[in-house]
Formats: sequence, C-alpha cells, structure tokens
Amino acid sequence: MRKLLYVLPLLAALVLAGCGKQESDLPVNTRLGGDFTLTDQNGEPFSAEKLKGQVSILFFGYTHCPDICPAVLAQVAQVYRHLEEEGVADQVQPVFITFDPERDTAAHLKEYLPWFKADMIGLTGSLEQIRAVAEQYGVVFIKDQEAGEQGYLFTHSDYIYLLDEQARVRKLYPADFKIDEVVTDVESLL
Amino acid sequence: MLNRFCKPVCQGVALAVALCAGVASADVRISDGWLRAVPPVSPTMAGYLTVTNEGDTSVNITGARSEIAGHAMLHSMKTLDDGTRKMGHLHHVMLAPGESFSFLPGGDHLMLMKLQRVPQPGESVTVCLTQAEGEAICAGLPVLREAPSDS
Repeated sequence: MRKLLYVLPLLAALVLAGCGKQESDLPVNTRLGGDFTLTDQNGEPFSAEKLKGQVSILFFGYTHCPDICPAVLAQVAQVYRHLEEEGVADQVQPVFITFDPERDTAAHLKEYLPWFKADMIGLTGSLEQIRAVAEQYGVVFIKDQEAGEQGYLFTHSDYIYLLDEQARVRKLYPADFKIDEVVTDVESLL
Repeated sequence: MLNRFCKPVCQGVALAVALCAGVASADVRISDGWLRAVPPVSPTMAGYLTVTNEGDTSVNITGARSEIAGHAMLHSMKTLDDGTRKMGHLHHVMLAPGESFSFLPGGDHLMLMKLQRVPQPGESVTVCLTQAEGEAICAGLPVLREAPSDS
C-alpha cells in the first residue's frame, strides 16, 4: 500500500506528460516584439495579430542587398523545405520585413519573394511604420549617404527572430544561423 | 521529381567544373568560386571565390567585371561596434607571393550590378578580377541557390 503511494503520482505524471504538449524550454523574450501594422505583398494591411496561431521566422532586410539578405532568404527557405519534409511547414510562417520601402514596394516584394519557394510574407509600409517595428525588434538600419553605381545601401543589423504561436519572440539567431538548429527550435514550439 | 533530382546533380556538376577549372592566369589562381542565385527581378548579385598568387611577384587586384553585369566591384563587409554590418568599396587586394584572399558570404565579396540578365541556378558565368598591372584573371563561376557548404 505504501508503495502505491509513491507509484501513483509517478504514473499520473507520465500519463499527463503523454497527453499534453511538451513545453519548449526556449525562454520568452519580453523586451522584443509587439503589435504593429504594415502592408503585405498584396497591398493588404497586415497586423502582428495575424502571426498568432503559427510559428513565425521573422527577419528584416532589403531586396537590393547583394550579400547578407539573399543569403538569409535562401537559408530560411532551406529551413522551410526541411519543415515541408517533416510535414509541418503549414504551421510555420516566414516573414520578411523590408527597411527599404522606397524600392521594396508591395508589388516588388510580390515579384521577388516567390522565387524562394517558402511561402513568405513580405511586409512594407511607410518609413515611420517600419522604423517603429524595427525599434520593437531592436533592429538598426541606416541608409548610407554615399550612393554608388549600385544605388544606396544600408548599414544594418541582421538577426533572425523565432516567434511562437502567440507571436512572442523566443529566440534570436545570427545571419549565418545553423539550419538544423532553427528546424529543431521550430519543432519544439509546434 | 526531375527537378528534385536534377537540381543537386546540376549544381554539383557546375561546382565541380568551377573547382577543377580554376586556373585562369599564369600565376594567379581562382578557386572555390560561385555566384549566389537570386530572383529574376534582382538588380544585383554577389560572388565568392578565393584568389591565390602563385607567382613570385606581388599582385594587386583592383576590381572585377563580368559578362552579365554593367558594373562590378569588390566589396568589403565590416561589423561595427554596435553589431551592425556595413558594406563599402574595397579598392584593392594586395597579394604577396604565395598569399591567398577569400571573398566569402557575410564577408568581403564581389558585387555584380546593373545586371543585363539574372543567371539562374545551374548556369556558369565568367567573372574576371582586374589587376593594377597585367591581364585580368577570369574563371567560370557556377550559379548556386545555396552555399556549397550548406547544400
């Protein structure tokens, strides 16, 4: 009888663990993120509320960026393809926010992003709107004064943000992130 | 299905050709070169390679050009104190005899601008490094969707 007293709670815990969803141990970052409204590649308003109910991989950049931004886009697409193979890509939303609204119009994003085959949402807006969102995520972007043959460039930070189903930031990655690490983290949030 | 099979094979063949056929000038060798594929509406694309001076005099690389770009240049990439990344014109790369210099993703790179057309994955594009003195050093670089180390 005394043994039962020890065994029963253990059994109950095991049953509960089997029934419930395993909580990810990625901490919630309460300093970054928040509500915003921008414009998606179809010209429709897009609020942060729409990110809820799915896991998001969110990152900032601009399409005239020759090196880091296309590399990040390609890597995020790789993550997405891995998740497709796992059959969970429909629960994950890659989101690209431009900080170059002058050239990255909704129409341009609509032409540019599908090539990556990752069902990406592209967001643009007024410079004020984008600056406000960038501040929420601690993103710095500075338009270079000197425009060369290539037009103007930006000096910018390049983190990638993993958001959970409540659109809370759970992890940041550098631009040269490991594909497997992000895939594992995404799956821990599903 | 065919595309799924062909993509890695085509990229692999293109990469192998580029890696094997690196030598393009008497004493200067280009190796490990590739261009990152970008969407057809892109105005620019980046290239990466290693250039090695195998001669016995110094070499001064001062620029780049390509058949598909109206303008090309060497670009530097610096990480500033606040963690932001800043690109700029890299005016030259001086290589002493035996020295190598690598243009890599996220670092110094070649930038092709005013693209006359945007080459797609599987293509090979001739890219040349120009010198202060002497002939340009050219090589065919494969266009890849993913970095060779990631694929």
